[in-house]
Amino acid sequence: MITAERKPISEIKEMIAPYRKILIVGCGSCVAECASGGEKEVGLLASALRMDAKASGKDIEVKEMTLDRQCVYEFIDQLTEVVDQYDVILSLGCGAGVQAVAEVFPKVHIVPALNTTFIGQTKEAGLWIENCRGCGDCKLGFFAAVCPVTRCAKGLFNGPCGGSKTDRCEVDPDVPCAWQLIVSRLEDMGRLDLLCKVHPPADWSKQQGKGPRKIYREDQRS
Amino acid sequence: MDQKNAGLNISIFFCQQIDPNQDVNRRALERELGNRIRFFPLPCSGRIDSLHLMRALESGADKVYVITCPEGACHYREGNIRARKRVAYTKGLIEEIGLEGERLELIIAPTGNPVNIDELARDLLSREATTGPSPVRGKTA
Repeated sequence: MITAERKPISEIKEMIAPYRKILIVGCGSCVAECASGGEKEVGLLASALRMDAKASGKDIEVKEMTLDRQCVYEFIDQLTEVVDQYDVILSLGCGAGVQAVAEVFPKVHIVPALNTTFIGQTKEAGLWIENCRGCGDCKLGFFAAVCPVTRCAKGLFNGPCGGSKTDRCEVDPDVPCAWQLIVSRLEDMGRLDLLCKVHPPADWSKQQGKGPRKIYREDQRS
Repeated sequence: MDQKNAGLNISIFFCQQIDPNQDVNRRALERELGNRIRFFPLPCSGRIDSLHLMRALESGADKVYVITCPEGACHYREGNIRARKRVAYTKGLIEEIGLEGERLELIIAPTGNPVNIDELARDLLSREATTGPSPVRGKTA
């Protein structure tokens, strides 16, 4: 999933300052899972902004709405009937969601309330960790499903750096050494032979080499 | 001046495990103070959410208390620990908009349950009012 964190209220207030009628739009997918942009977070931010306005004597109207997904037209279309009633949309979607909504409503000012951070996993309640860089050339099959590009601080493809101590990364002792995990898991699976393969440097042209990427599938098109 | 005489609106979220007779015990105070006091019994204080606290403040509460069982005495093991974390998070949120964090307060019920919620609430009301009416309420009145 895509993870995100709420921007400071002061930054959000600055962006919506010129407007009176504000629609806060959450997203029920990734950012709801990471507790930054779901229905509850929409409610918290709306309450905070309404209270702030009341306390400072400002006359604003803040309404709440949450889409199941903010990055898919069929869900964004639910805004069509209400969008004209507002001066600005404050999006609690990820960066993709904000831009998707903006594309559907080109004359409406859409501003982000979140800082989109990384592709990650819910490790445990209240803890999300980055484990995919979206490099476009997944090699997890060679590395026991532990990504050395993302989870090794040095992004090493061909073995550990040798600096780990008691299974922990020397760069950040809070993080397990990715290569320790890779070797242990391969050992458990009886596939240490996979370590014999030498990997060339990652081909980063598959990530951002040609600008924004796209996936095109004729079979999925109408 | 104490909170009762300062005319503050008080909301009290509390774990109903601390007072099995809370439904009866809170009535006298509710009759006495009317809308100035609102009780929200919870099956466990761990049910509390930041959104409840924000909505209470937005609805005109000047002070919001969350009363939990003592640590280690939660009927559901660690609900009171979760309540403490949520109060702390919400304090940070209201401070971001300039409200005093002390408008939210976690109260740990005395050990040796059960307690009488009426007595506990009266004790809270008799405390010195360190904050006045909420600016949120003031501007809407």
